[in-house]
Amino acid sequence: MVFILGVNFPERNLLKKSLETFFGIGNNSSGRLMSRFNIHPTCRVGELANKQVLDLTAVLSDMKIENDLRREVLNDIKRMKETGTYRGRRHALGLPVRGQRTRTQIKTPVKLNRMERRL
Amino acid sequence: MASSWCWNCLSRLRPTPRALLPPSATPRISSAPFHSTAVHYAQPAKKKGNSLTVVKHRQSTSLRRKKKKVADRGGRPPAVGERKALRKRIVLSNPNALEIEGMLELSPETMVDSRLRGTVLGLPVPMIDQLRAVQAFKPKQGWSIFRRPGTVLRRDTIEMGRLFEHISGEGDEAQKGKVVKKIVTGMKGSGKTVHLLQAMAMGFLKKWAVVTIPDARELVSGDTAYAAIEGSNPLQYVQPSATSALLTRTVEANRELLASLKVSQKHPALKMLKPSSTLEDLAKLGFNDPAVSWRVFQALWTELTATAPAEGLEKDFKPRPPMLVAVDGLAHWMTESAYRSAEYKPIHAHDLAFVHHFLSLLKEGDSLKNGGLLLYATSFSNNPNPTALKIALDRLAARQAGISASSPEYPQLPAYSDADPRVLELFQPAEKAVSPLELQTLGGLTRDEARGFMEYFARSGLLREIINDQWVSEKWSLSGGGIIGELEKFGRRVRATASVSK
Repeated sequence: MVFILGVNFPERNLLKKSLETFFGIGNNSSGRLMSRFNIHPTCRVGELANKQVLDLTAVLSDMKIENDLRREVLNDIKRMKETGTYRGRRHALGLPVRGQRTRTQIKTPVKLNRMERRL
Repeated sequence: MASSWCWNCLSRLRPTPRALLPPSATPRISSAPFHSTAVHYAQPAKKKGNSLTVVKHRQSTSLRRKKKKVADRGGRPPAVGERKALRKRIVLSNPNALEIEGMLELSPETMVDSRLRGTVLGLPVPMIDQLRAVQAFKPKQGWSIFRRPGTVLRRDTIEMGRLFEHISGEGDEAQKGKVVKKIVTGMKGSGKTVHLLQAMAMGFLKKWAVVTIPDARELVSGDTAYAAIEGSNPLQYVQPSATSALLTRTVEANRELLASLKVSQKHPALKMLKPSSTLEDLAKLGFNDPAVSWRVFQALWTELTATAPAEGLEKDFKPRPPMLVAVDGLAHWMTESAYRSAEYKPIHAHDLAFVHHFLSLLKEGDSLKNGGLLLYATSFSNNPNPTALKIALDRLAARQAGISASSPEYPQLPAYSDADPRVLELFQPAEKAVSPLELQTLGGLTRDEARGFMEYFARSGLLREIINDQWVSEKWSLSGGGIIGELEKFGRRVRATASVSK
């Protein structure tokens, strides 16, 4: 098991997939992070040298990810609701925000856009 | 219900008063039905509206299917690496196949004997471990249908055998220590990889140092670790674990040779080396420690290409043997690799130090100081097909045919092509210099060779046919002019079932 930013990852897991478990890190960010430290794309967590783990953790801790990022997104939505913008209203009503049609296929906004929004 | 007419007397009956009839639970039917069964015996009507007809508000109307349940077969899933091991397994012997009596072995005498052309020569049994070590056999090559591995002696093989003799210094003294650089191409199934295998086998027979890269793709597909070399310009990258693997392969295959040669140069970077250590000891330093493997590889290379000892190390110096360098799947080195630089730009394959080392051997000059053979084969089964390589090889063929670069027949880049200039430059000869690079195109077998090859199948008990000239001629034509991969399909196909099914 290897600790990266306080999370324990099994050694067999792919590093790229492991990095992408953090909220706010996707395909692009994880690829850039790995190439920055010259880690090959199919690297397993167990293959990392100690220094590389520390480097990764140092960079990750400077990034806005996980709860910080969640809080920021929620604050943005809250601000829109409070200022009464159209987008804020759509968020509050549980309807799609970005001009999609509402005749069909709005399961996701119905599920997500509510007063107490969770990410 | 009875008719209200009495048919005997044709008089009208008086209807029975309603009140006298017994009360019935079912409602009276005033019209006659098609059958006389009472309604209350009927099956209860089905409920109307199944899931397809009644659609709820905002419900999708597309077809909904029940998901099939995956049957739990029990047992554990295969262990880690088990399936890959099965996929990469190489079986070289089949006890069910017949043993061929009087089958000759590949040896320094038989490999140049033109009387044996077209016969299948077995690979010597002690050498098989060495060939396995350099990964000369590939999993899908069909070695597993014969009693023992063997290869057909074709024209190209005999020519190569003679080349080995010349470079080793037997016969023509002038050619001793020559470096021959070849790019092996040919159609799919024309035997390029087996040609490399034959070269390796000959290398082992002649006691050469054999260095191989069995799959060029592995170095650029982003599957091994890489690290930038500090201070190199343009920035180059080493691949420590791939280098360790190469050292392991080389030592396992050339153990006898490397153990007999002593260190003859000074290697200030490798402190743990003693003057009395052999080249095997030197290579072993890089086995387990990927951090030094690249330096160890460079040291080993300088040792193998050394022509004279350094000062103070003359005592145990033995002349180094010629070298064989074989690379399979060259096209993968002619594109950008799957690695990325720190700025997230793709790294060109030529910027990988490992690849660069082996490609620079192709350039002019005696890259192998003690002579030797470079065989770089292209592949058709796994080919990224870069435009630049195709044009470069066409140009090479044109130059070989005597077409000058200024001639209109000389292959030109198509308009708006994005051919890689670095690749074109690699194959471009310097001004007025004769390029040492040769293009060897493997074609089909001749009819005689094809006959020998098919007889091998028949004598192994795989092919139940009377092999005569007519039959061989037919198969030779069907295989596109003796393409050996296609001939093999005719040999191993079971004919009996095919004729029954007609």
